[in-house]
Amino acid sequence: MNKNPGRKKPEERYDRCAYAMIFPAYFIFAVFILIPIAVVIYYSITNFNLYSAPQFVGLKNYRNLFTDGDFLTGIKNTLVYTVLTLFPQLALGLLVAVMLYRKSKLIPVFRTAFYLPNVMSMVCMSMVWLWIYDPAYGLLNALLKMFGCSTKQWLQDPNMAMLCVVIMSIWKSCGYSMVIFLSGLTSIPGSLYEAASLDGAGPIRKFTSITWPMLRPTTFFLLVTGIVNSFSVFEQINIMTGGGPLNRTTTVVHQIYRRAFLEFKMGYASAMSVILLLFSIVITALIFRFGSQGQDVEVA
Amino acid sequence: MPQKGEEKERLPERRMEENKAMKKRKINHIIWGICMAAASLFMLAPVLMMFLTSFKSIDEIRTAAFHLFPRAVSVKNYVEAMTSGGWLVYFRNSLVITLAAVIFSLLFNTIAGYAFARLNFRGSKILFLLLMIGLMMPPQVTMLPTFLIMAKFPLVGGNNIFGAGGTGFINTYAGLVIPLVAGSYGVFLSKQFYENFPRALDEAAEIDGANKWKVYFTIYLPNSKSLLATLGLMKAVAVWNDYLWPLVMTNSESKKTVQLALTMFKTDGYTQWNYLMAAAVLIVIPMIVLFLCAQKYFVQGIVTSGLK
Repeated sequence: MNKNPGRKKPEERYDRCAYAMIFPAYFIFAVFILIPIAVVIYYSITNFNLYSAPQFVGLKNYRNLFTDGDFLTGIKNTLVYTVLTLFPQLALGLLVAVMLYRKSKLIPVFRTAFYLPNVMSMVCMSMVWLWIYDPAYGLLNALLKMFGCSTKQWLQDPNMAMLCVVIMSIWKSCGYSMVIFLSGLTSIPGSLYEAASLDGAGPIRKFTSITWPMLRPTTFFLLVTGIVNSFSVFEQINIMTGGGPLNRTTTVVHQIYRRAFLEFKMGYASAMSVILLLFSIVITALIFRFGSQGQDVEVA
Repeated sequence: MPQKGEEKERLPERRMEENKAMKKRKINHIIWGICMAAASLFMLAPVLMMFLTSFKSIDEIRTAAFHLFPRAVSVKNYVEAMTSGGWLVYFRNSLVITLAAVIFSLLFNTIAGYAFARLNFRGSKILFLLLMIGLMMPPQVTMLPTFLIMAKFPLVGGNNIFGAGGTGFINTYAGLVIPLVAGSYGVFLSKQFYENFPRALDEAAEIDGANKWKVYFTIYLPNSKSLLATLGLMKAVAVWNDYLWPLVMTNSESKKTVQLALTMFKTDGYTQWNYLMAAAVLIVIPMIVLFLCAQKYFVQGIVTSGLK
């Protein structure tokens, strides 16, 4: 393309073929992410139900949302799930990453053990945990009985169901944080630790003064992607509890799925999707605003 | 010379100290190994239980007395589970969808990442930022409109030019694959990865008169093994394990994926745990094998793309 031998500054030459290169990815992105955002906002102000033509209803769907007990419960549950899952999962991932950041022949074995739950399907793992939590034949109650403790109802107990789902989700996803944190750790120059050792810093001081601040961009990245993932929690809910007992585990996406694809209230479900979108944008923006102070964050 | 003598005198002392420190380090290492082994076992326990349970008979599972190991090892559950429906079709569907999504997403997203990382073009910053919306938004937000777009796609699946009359992409491979090819994450990771590439390489190629396409396909692509392994593994895992999109997009036996099929063993009243566990083992094995094959590159890929 650039046959001009008199080398211009890189900023001054444009590569036209770049548009062709980004076209396939961008086309799919536009058709399946950008345009759908516009479409979902449009449907959210209609009464579309898949069978008749959509009619404009203004903000009626949104007004109804705020009196819809199931949806409000869904929002509350989603937030509870996010807080209870995300922070322990990050803490655990960081702990394991720090533990595994050393030289040993066993590292790949341990790393694999921690990461493996993450590559297995949520459907399969939900089923396995469903059995583990089973009140009559499950592993947990069998162990409790073995030690002479009283058995519990786990997923069928309205007060415990969410916690059970949360524990399973932490188990499933902490390996991901571990791998990302490990990659963050390897990018910290070893000379920092050597200097700290010379100054007589102990392992805890080294962690608080070097590791934690240097890992800030990593933590930031995991926080943003983790929130997006937690907000979209659905599979384990649909399989393990179906939103029950007493709606204690229903989530926003579970409500969207039910309204849209079981009741065909597309307009109403679209309004829910828009609320989910707003929540994600607001919280991500807040993290960007307060989480990256003075940091050169390159995530976007 | 006198200095050398001094050193010789101190040597045994120092060696003893070193020995002590090494012993201490060794003991620490062993304690560390035991702790991590215990933690690993704890992490793998549910998976091991799935494996062990898959060999038990239903009576053995539905009994009050719990045994860790099955009484007799037989593949009866596996055979019966796999013959209880069109599992060959389900596995084929999942395989086709996963392969297609991985190949297209790797091709599209890495080349876009290369363009964003290396080429100058008007609007590249804004186009990239826009693309990052996909990273910050739960994919389920657009699930509903994407479904409607796929169902009403013009001139597909019996639809007329206005997208009415037919079923569009519903119950087709294309409908299951195309939306999953989109990947802000893939473009982002590729951009990070290619930004760390030595620039000297493509400058050399340019002097030889190669255009950007040639530079990408002859220099960048062959040298991005770890990137391809990382992205490929992530995409394969995401698509193979996907549940919600096939649930929404298909309603026929012929396009059912393995994840959907697994839920058949669980009905409201009665769960066939023995078949369920056997089928679950068969469903997770391909991803475990893939991970073990790719893991060397996978971790390296995350590190070199400077994902932090």
